[in-house]
Amino acid sequence: MQTATATAAPGWAPVSAMRLFLRRLGVVLAAGGLVALAGFWLTPYAPGGADFLNRLSPPGRAHWFGTDQLGRDIATRILYGGLWSLGLAFIVVTVGAVFGTLVGLVASRGGRVLDYALMRTTDSFFAFPELIAAVTVAGLFGPGTFNLMLALILVSWMKFARLVRSLSLSLAQRDFITQAQLNGLPEWRILWHHYLPNIAPGVLVLWTNSWSRTILAISGLSFLGFGVQPPNAEWGAMLLDGKAHMQTAPHIMIFPGLAVLSAVLAINLVGDRLRDLLAEQHQP
Amino acid sequence: MPVRSLLLRLAGLLAVLFGVSLIIFTLTYLAPGDKAMAIAHARYPDAMGFAPEILEGIRQEFHLNAPFHMQFLHWLGGFVTGDFGLSYASGAPVWDIFIDNLGETATLALAALTLGLVAALVLSSLAVWHVGGWVDRLAIILASVGAAMPGFWLGLLLILFFAAQLNWLPAYGTGTAAHLVLPALTLAFWVMASQTRLLRTFMLEAYGLPFIETLRLRGVSEREIFLRHVLRHASIPALTMIGLDLAGLLEGAVIVELTFSRGGLGALLAGSVLARDFPMVVFLVMFFAVAYVTINSVIEIVQDAVDPRSRAGGAAAARKSGAQA
Amino acid sequence: MLRLQNLSVQMGDAVLLRGISCALSRGEMLCIIGESGSGKTTLLRALQGLMPAHCDRFCFCPPGQPPVDLSGALPRGRGLRGTSWVMQDPLAALNPRRRIGASIAEGLYRDRLPPDRLKAAVTAALAEVELDAEFHDRYPAQISLGQAQRACLARALIARPALIFFDEPLSALDAMVQKQIAHRMDVLRRDRGLSYVVVTHDLGFAAAYADRILVLHKGRVAAFQDKQAFFAAPASAYARSLIGAAQALGSLTPVGAAA
Repeated sequence: MQTATATAAPGWAPVSAMRLFLRRLGVVLAAGGLVALAGFWLTPYAPGGADFLNRLSPPGRAHWFGTDQLGRDIATRILYGGLWSLGLAFIVVTVGAVFGTLVGLVASRGGRVLDYALMRTTDSFFAFPELIAAVTVAGLFGPGTFNLMLALILVSWMKFARLVRSLSLSLAQRDFITQAQLNGLPEWRILWHHYLPNIAPGVLVLWTNSWSRTILAISGLSFLGFGVQPPNAEWGAMLLDGKAHMQTAPHIMIFPGLAVLSAVLAINLVGDRLRDLLAEQHQP
Repeated sequence: MPVRSLLLRLAGLLAVLFGVSLIIFTLTYLAPGDKAMAIAHARYPDAMGFAPEILEGIRQEFHLNAPFHMQFLHWLGGFVTGDFGLSYASGAPVWDIFIDNLGETATLALAALTLGLVAALVLSSLAVWHVGGWVDRLAIILASVGAAMPGFWLGLLLILFFAAQLNWLPAYGTGTAAHLVLPALTLAFWVMASQTRLLRTFMLEAYGLPFIETLRLRGVSEREIFLRHVLRHASIPALTMIGLDLAGLLEGAVIVELTFSRGGLGALLAGSVLARDFPMVVFLVMFFAVAYVTINSVIEIVQDAVDPRSRAGGAAAARKSGAQA
Repeated sequence: MLRLQNLSVQMGDAVLLRGISCALSRGEMLCIIGESGSGKTTLLRALQGLMPAHCDRFCFCPPGQPPVDLSGALPRGRGLRGTSWVMQDPLAALNPRRRIGASIAEGLYRDRLPPDRLKAAVTAALAEVELDAEFHDRYPAQISLGQAQRACLARALIARPALIFFDEPLSALDAMVQKQIAHRMDVLRRDRGLSYVVVTHDLGFAAAYADRILVLHKGRVAAFQDKQAFFAAPASAYARSLIGAAQALGSLTPVGAAA
């Protein structure tokens, strides 16, 4: 904190808590990314590299988290599994957020009939819990990564649509929007310069929240066999893979689960802090 | 006016239910594979191949050659009149299979809900007693961990510890009350976590209300303030949130059932999906969706009736959006 | 320059304004006075086309622009060209996530200036309201309320309007800042030959700066007079009681004397 205030130019308001937080978050993310990259670089094992002489060996110096029933290094697989779990959820939520934001903006700015139609559609999609939707799509179209993502995207956008619609409806009443309209700004310019910047923080908080939920959903579905299929090293799929051996070698199920728990916990904590900071900003 | 708003809400509910059925039917319509073949396989499980005439007969019987909207209307008509069809897998009516499995899931969900709510109530009450104290911190940590905990993993951990190591409880299957303990605990942990977080927030909010200070000045005891005022204030929003989180409870129940290899709707859904038993899958998804939509509409209507503020807010919002258009 | 005859505003069954007539010449300042809910802000919104309004005759002839002369329903939605509007709460009127300079530049959006000339215009507008060029890059949260209201004034001035509407421009500010901004407004009006329509609660302000006074009461005109005539012989009992109340509170004489 001291460095941030010291580097701020004289005569300027000190860097806001939000910027400071985002800066720190960036540092932490960069550090985490570097460590992970180093892991990919340093590990001598491949995620699918079976070693039948070293099956189910407990955690030790050669294999930090032990090996699984095929002798694959669990630590390496968790690293690669992170790409699957975090990455797939990232894509799902980002696509859902963009689409939901568009729907919310159109509903709130497009007149009553469009609003009613879009919001009832949103409600209809809301009726499908993520898991049910994903299981159904997996059942009808066959299990697999692509269908899993399709299903999760189908049911991920509605929260964003509702949030953006309500934020945008309340923004429409604000004086600065009226001023922009009176000054002759076209609708797209008002949306881009006035609506989106004021909607973005709320969307970001929801995005964080949805990201962690989607990670849970993906790993759960993969564990149940409806998502990413073994031998791909998704965390839930690893648990499914090792379930039969968990009594003889508990480490095989401890570490992937811990990975899910800590990733989700970390993202949730970031999201909570972000939400609190935003709440503070609104009542200075 | 209340009658009119009620009618509007019902119209909205019907529109949503129509949308739900349209989405589900579109998904089944788009699903790959020859449905006539699937039906034939289910009907004659021992046959190796089918003559084209038989498949064509099935297509006629199930209107599979009709255009999309006709198929949809036919299917919807059957659904509305209570004709949910026969399971491809067993040939039994879908409804009967559903009823057979409903009890199992309801027992699990109710047990977990009760357990979780009681735990949440105790934990959050102790937490707000000393805000910032160690119980409060524990409550916050438990709530955070519970929200981030993958249910299936917690289930596996419990199995590993209580069933495999200590051998106290059965791990898999259904039947005795002992079989219910671990699954209910798993699901209850999630309920406890989400409800503790909410109850704690709502209780703190209630303590911040000006009339609480007035009661204190009047000499009302802390105990009575908590029991009669804070608790009541916090419970109403918390109960609403339970309704909203019903989807989470159902999802949790499905995961837990499958983790513990229990019977119930979750196992039924998964089994039907793997067997490509379309009527069963469609019915179950319709059930989850309709139940969710209906319960939430009822909650909204009750809220409107109980809280005049939300009604006024709704009217104002309607007027605003009207002025916009 | 601005003339209204028998303006009325109706929303559904409720008649918000009825039979409003008034007129204003170039370089003059009209103060609209009345209690909360008397329709002052409604009148401004109606003139900007933000509310459905009817008028027997509506004339607005700003210098250097085609005059507007119409009867019947006023046009909705796009504002009245040649005017601008300064609102009551400066922080609500500025986008919290947009730099002050960009917000001010919006006042010139219709002119489609190239960036360098736009920036020069914004700097000039900032100077007119006695703000440094460095405010260009500030966000609303980084400046004071008075500075924010000056920025809003700059946005109103930048398009070189003939008439500026003010909706209680000073009521959110403390007394010192009120006085400074009121003075600045007055200087700008005289230098530029601008006309002002100012909604205010403050009779002292009206006594100090206004040329004409329009009193609204329950959506109708309770008085429309020159300032001297108004304070000497108010046109209605309601107007007289307003003056009496202000004198009893002591807010009228001192400020009026200061001017």
